[in-house]
Amino acid sequence: MPLLEIKNAKLKLDDKDILKGLSLSVNSGEVHAIMGPNGSGKSTLSYMLAGRDGYELESGEVFLEGQSLSDMEADKRARSGLFLAFQYPVELPGVGGMSFLREAVNSRRKFLGEEELDHLAFVKEARKVASKMFVKDEMLKRAVNVGFSGGEKKRFEILQMAMLMPKVSILDETDSGLDVDALKIVSDGVNEQRNEENAIVVITHYQRLLDYIVPDFVHILSDGNIIKSGGPELALEVEKNGYVGLINAA
Amino acid sequence: MLHNVRDNYIISVKDHVSQFEEKSFRKLASNDFKSWPSPREETWRLSRLGVLSRKEITPITPNFKKQISSVSKFNGSKIIRFVDGAFREDLSSKLPPGSSLNILGEEDSLRCFHKFKDSNLKDHPSTNVSFSCTPSIVKLTIEKDVKIRDLFEIIYEGGDDDSSVHPALYIELKDKSSITIIERFNHLSSLIMPLQLVELKKNASINSLKIFNDNQHSYNLSANCTFLSEKSNYNSFSLIKGGLFTRSETHAYLKGENCNLNLNGVYLSSKNQHHDLTTAIYHDVPNCTSKQIVRGVLGGKSTGVFQGKVRVAPDAQKTDGQQMSKAILLSENAIANAKPELEIYADDVICAHGATVGEIEDDQLFYLKSRGISEKKAKQILITAFLKDIINESVTESMQNFVFEEAELALSEIISKEI
Repeated sequence: MPLLEIKNAKLKLDDKDILKGLSLSVNSGEVHAIMGPNGSGKSTLSYMLAGRDGYELESGEVFLEGQSLSDMEADKRARSGLFLAFQYPVELPGVGGMSFLREAVNSRRKFLGEEELDHLAFVKEARKVASKMFVKDEMLKRAVNVGFSGGEKKRFEILQMAMLMPKVSILDETDSGLDVDALKIVSDGVNEQRNEENAIVVITHYQRLLDYIVPDFVHILSDGNIIKSGGPELALEVEKNGYVGLINAA
Repeated sequence: MLHNVRDNYIISVKDHVSQFEEKSFRKLASNDFKSWPSPREETWRLSRLGVLSRKEITPITPNFKKQISSVSKFNGSKIIRFVDGAFREDLSSKLPPGSSLNILGEEDSLRCFHKFKDSNLKDHPSTNVSFSCTPSIVKLTIEKDVKIRDLFEIIYEGGDDDSSVHPALYIELKDKSSITIIERFNHLSSLIMPLQLVELKKNASINSLKIFNDNQHSYNLSANCTFLSEKSNYNSFSLIKGGLFTRSETHAYLKGENCNLNLNGVYLSSKNQHHDLTTAIYHDVPNCTSKQIVRGVLGGKSTGVFQGKVRVAPDAQKTDGQQMSKAILLSENAIANAKPELEIYADDVICAHGATVGEIEDDQLFYLKSRGISEKKAKQILITAFLKDIINESVTESMQNFVFEEAELALSEIISKEI
């Protein structure tokens, strides 16, 4: 059974067709890259998967470990093991980083039937994971994403991913706004979490990120549908010929 | 002769005054009280007192033997108690050296009255009614160079149904003195009309915290008139959560250069409550700063009002005046009104104002939910952060937890009904 399965997903925003029958199957242990030009529906796809209000499917269905997501709210999807790393992480003034993380992790643990972590145990665990992500203690004391640099925001996203241990992670343009060094730190963080039990879907414009997070499969998204799938070599083809050649050929 | 209910209150105020000496400031005040403000008056348009015109209320005669119900919330604080609007020395603490409490005589009371009558609070109903009916004007003085370390806790309580109470307090901080005062309003009366005059002399500094938590049927029309001298500092935070109708109105006159004023506040409103923070800040001289941050959370059919006026006189160059109000509506039937006003006659100033009224931001809510946090919990987290943010910015560190706990009680009541 695939970890994530999208079947013929159709979605409209403001009466405009955005996803037009998209299907995708992601098995455990796999990393998929979805590449596409601006306006192809990449962000819509990530919001739809995460369950944002207003991004409900018109038809089609999505399954996480065989369970339909249609009637599941965003919070339950996340507790069930779906994670979205945001392209633009949201600032939460007044919400401390550490208490936010703890609330999130304990929600997931509770769902999994595991014991919730007390404050001390949690802080210890968070610090351990944070240091691997080069996230300083001081950053965890600040309000979530407030005053963070672009690189810090993305590192904090991947830190959350590491703490929540999701089954399926969607990384939405995680490379945007990152310089080479930050890109490497973030990618290392993602790679460290790759294993045979989970799966990662990387959504990106550019091939660049895929030098660091090497995918097993690459899909080209255009006008609301996957028009071509292949191995990592497909990303190099995009880099060489642009999207236009591929789209015209399709 | 038959009178309508409105006239009855005016008559009972005059009757009340007749208990006192003839040639009194009371008489002057009572003659000036002709009626409740009409909704046609701009500053009362958003907070209407029509209901008071239909209520049978009489000024209370203080009961000096009344049992008290409000306990101190701080270990070791110096307590000053007003019961039924009257100062109760027997229930108050002995004050530390350099501070004193006195009941003002006729002449000083008259002077105090004229300070109000010369201000733009001259027509405020509390000005005239409370100067008519207050048992006495009490003056708290902090002597020159005295920095009071003890927390002063002023507790106002008492009153009963169909009565009005009229506490009047005059606070004078002499040169280079400082103090932290918390005032708690816990009345049972139908109508509460507190008067407060604050005078800060050169380099004096006051941290003031007010918690309005009167009975759920009460009207509280608090009027505060503050004068700031050179290099003085007035840092005030009001938390309005109780009463049926609470309006805290503060007029601050910046009279000396380099003084600094913060008038921040939070209102937490539910059911059919009406909460109003009205301020007027008069920058009369150059080089002063004033800042107002007001936040509200509303549920039920409640209404919140923020009216803030900043007036910068032609000579008040280099003024820095900021106003910001934000309200979150948790119910479709709640209303928040914000009316920031800048009146600037000087040309070299920095003044800004902004106001937002809305729901919890979708982006923030979705972000929290996408981390597995339930919608209810996510809303709680966001609203709590919305308040914590301003409390931490406005209140001294040692008081932050107390204020936050006070806010949280009211907040949980709003949230439990709306989320």
